[in-house]
Amino acid sequence: MLKLENVVKRYKDFIAVDHLSFDMARGEIFGLIGQNGAGKTTTFRMILDLQNTTEGTITWDGKPIKSINRDWLGYLPEERGIFPTMKVEEQLLYLGELRGMTKRDAKEQVNFWIERFELEEKRKDKAETLSKGNQQKVQLIASFLHRPKFLILDEPFSGLDPVNKDLLKHAILLLKERGTTILFSSHQMENVEELCDHLCILKRGKSLFAGSLLDLKKQYGKVKLRVRTNTTASELALLPGVHHVEQVRDEFILSLQDEQHAKAIFDVLSGGQFIEKFSLDYLSLDDIFKLKVGAHDV
Amino acid sequence: MSKFLILMKTSYKQKVTSKSFLFGTLLYLLVLTGAAFWPQISAALFNDEAQIVTVVNETGSDLQELLISSDDFIYTFVDTNIDDVTKNIGKDDITLHITDENGVLSANLYSFDPLPLNDETAILSTLDYANKIYAVQQLNLTAEDANNILNAVPMTKTTVLNEDVNNNKSEGAKSAGVWISYVVGVIIFAFIMTYLTMIITEVASEKGSRALEMLLVSIKPTTHFNAKIAAIFALALTQGAVIGLYGFTVFNFTGDGQAMDVMQTIFADVSSTYMFFTLAFLIGTVLLYVIIGALFGSLVAKVEEANQVMSPIMMVTLAGFYIMLSGTFNPDTLLITISSFIPLISGMVLPLRLAGTDMSIIEAWISLGILMTSIIVLYAMSLSFYKRAVLTYSTGGLLQKIKTILKVTS
Repeated sequence: MLKLENVVKRYKDFIAVDHLSFDMARGEIFGLIGQNGAGKTTTFRMILDLQNTTEGTITWDGKPIKSINRDWLGYLPEERGIFPTMKVEEQLLYLGELRGMTKRDAKEQVNFWIERFELEEKRKDKAETLSKGNQQKVQLIASFLHRPKFLILDEPFSGLDPVNKDLLKHAILLLKERGTTILFSSHQMENVEELCDHLCILKRGKSLFAGSLLDLKKQYGKVKLRVRTNTTASELALLPGVHHVEQVRDEFILSLQDEQHAKAIFDVLSGGQFIEKFSLDYLSLDDIFKLKVGAHDV
Repeated sequence: MSKFLILMKTSYKQKVTSKSFLFGTLLYLLVLTGAAFWPQISAALFNDEAQIVTVVNETGSDLQELLISSDDFIYTFVDTNIDDVTKNIGKDDITLHITDENGVLSANLYSFDPLPLNDETAILSTLDYANKIYAVQQLNLTAEDANNILNAVPMTKTTVLNEDVNNNKSEGAKSAGVWISYVVGVIIFAFIMTYLTMIITEVASEKGSRALEMLLVSIKPTTHFNAKIAAIFALALTQGAVIGLYGFTVFNFTGDGQAMDVMQTIFADVSSTYMFFTLAFLIGTVLLYVIIGALFGSLVAKVEEANQVMSPIMMVTLAGFYIMLSGTFNPDTLLITISSFIPLISGMVLPLRLAGTDMSIIEAWISLGILMTSIIVLYAMSLSFYKRAVLTYSTGGLLQKIKTILKVTS
C-alpha cells in the first residue's frame, strides 16, 4: 500500500529526514513516533506531496504518491487549523465539497460526525468561539469527513480531555473498520500502544525501528515485573537478575536483566504461598521509547 | 463544481457579505449621493443670502460703478461719518471705509467679529479691482474705458505641427481632464489600498490559522492562488459596478436629470479614448496589486504580521499618489512622464497625462502594454513563489522571510 524507500529531506545545512524506509498495509494503523524535531511532520508533508523529497521514493499501490487522487487523502496538521469566522457546519460542508463530496453526502456525514463528537449545540457557532477541545474535534471531523482511503493524524490527541480522547479512539477504530489506512503521530505512547499495529521510531530524521509493535517489544523481552509483597526494596534489589527496583505506591516495579530470572524470583517471593500480585510483562512503549530515543542511545 | 469555483465562490461570498465591504461600498454611495444632491444640500446648509457691506466713501469720487455687488456681497453706500457707523456696528455688519491717498484707494474694513477668511479675501479682491480702475480713472477715462483696458486679453490659438501628438485639446479641455484624472487617481488609489489590504489579510489569515495546510492536501497551491485572486478581483469589479450603476441612476434621476447634465458637460471635455484607457488602467492596476497582495500574504506566518509586508508596497502606492497629485499642478514634468510608464503607479499617473498633456496615443498603448506584460510576468513569478511560501513559516522582516523560504524550499 504506502511505501517509503530511502526518503531523504535535506535543507541547505540540515537533514530533516535521513534515508527513511517503512511500509504500511491497507487498513492498518501505523504510528510514527519521535521527539519534537525528529522529522515526523516533514515526513507527513512529503507523503502528502506538500513538500518534495530530496531523495527516495514514496508510492501508493506501487504508483508515485504525487499521481494519486488528492481526495483519497485526509490530514490533520499538528498546529490546529480551522477557519475562525466560519460556522462549524458551514466549514465542514465547505471542506467536504472541496474534497469531492456531493452536498447531500457531505451533509449526511457532517450530521453523523457532529452527533458522534457531541457537537450538536455548536453546529451554528463560529469556530473561533469554541473551546480548544471543540475546535480540535471540528478539525478532526474535517480531516476524515470525506472517508479518505489514507488518513494522516499529526498529534490527534493533544488538547483533548480523557472523554474526548475516548471518542477519538473509537472514531479511529471505526475508520479502520471501514478500511481507512491511518498513519499517526503522538507523544502519548499509551495511545500509540493501544491503537497501532506497526510503528516507526524516528530520531533526528533517522529510523531507529520500523516494524510491528510486538517485534519491538520482543527485542527487549518480558523484563518488567510488578509485585506486591512485604519484602523491602533493598531486599528485592539483591535478588538474582534484578538490576533496578522502583516503588510505586504499595507495589514494586522490578527491571530484570532477562525474563528467565522471573521464575526464581517468584519462588523466593511466594515461598510456595499465596502472593497477591506477580505480573511479568514486556516493557511499555513509553519505556522502550525512552531507552531508544533517550540520551544514551545515539 | 470544480475546486477552483468552490474556493472562489466561498471567498467571494464571505467577503461580499462582510461588514467592512458593505460599509465601504455604502460610503462610496453616500459620497455619490452627496455629489448628486449637492445643490440642495448646499442650499440647506449654507446661507445663500448676500451680505450687506456698508461703504463710507470719503474719496470725493463716485465709486458705485467700481465696487460691483455680487451674489455674496451687496455694497451699499451711505453718507455718514465713519465714527457714527462704527459706534453702532451690529454683530453681523461689515463696513468699508474708503479714502484717497495720493491717487490710490485706501480702505479700512470694520466688523464686530473677525471675518471668515473667504469673505475677507472676496471683499479685498473686489477692492483691488476697484482700485485699479480708480487709478486709471485718474487719467480722465470713463469707467467703461478703464474696464476695457483692464480686461483686455489677447486672442490666442495654439497650433501644433507634429501630427503624432496633435490632439487638438483646448486649454479648457486639458484643465477639465486634469481634474477628472485627479478624481480617477483618487478612486484608483482607494481601490488599490482596499483590495491590496483585503487579499493580504485573507491569505495571511488562512495561512496563519493553518487552515491552508488542510486545504492544500486536496487542492493545488496554484488553484488556491488563482481562486483567491479571482474572488478578490471579482469583488473589486462588483464594487465598481455597484458604484457605477448607482452613480448613473442617482445622477440621471435627481433634479430632472440636471445633475447628469452637469456631469455630461464635465465629461464632454474628455474623449472616449481617455475613458477606455482610464478603465483599462483601473482594472489592470487593481489586478496587478491583487496578485502582489496574494504573494505577500503567503509570506507571513500569521495575520498579525500582515502589516509588515504591506508597508513597502503601500509606500510605492503612496509615492504614485503624490506624483499624481503633483501632476495636477503641472502634468508636463519629466517625473510625470517617467511615472506614466512604471506599472505600479502608471494607473494613477497616465490618465492625468493623457488628459492634461498632448501626449501621443502610442505612448498610452506602450504604457498599457508594459502594465499587461507586468501582470503576466508577475503572475508567473508570484505563482512559482507562492507554491514555496505558502507552507513555510518564518520570522523576521520581509527580506528575512524571503531568504528563509528560498533556503528551505530550494
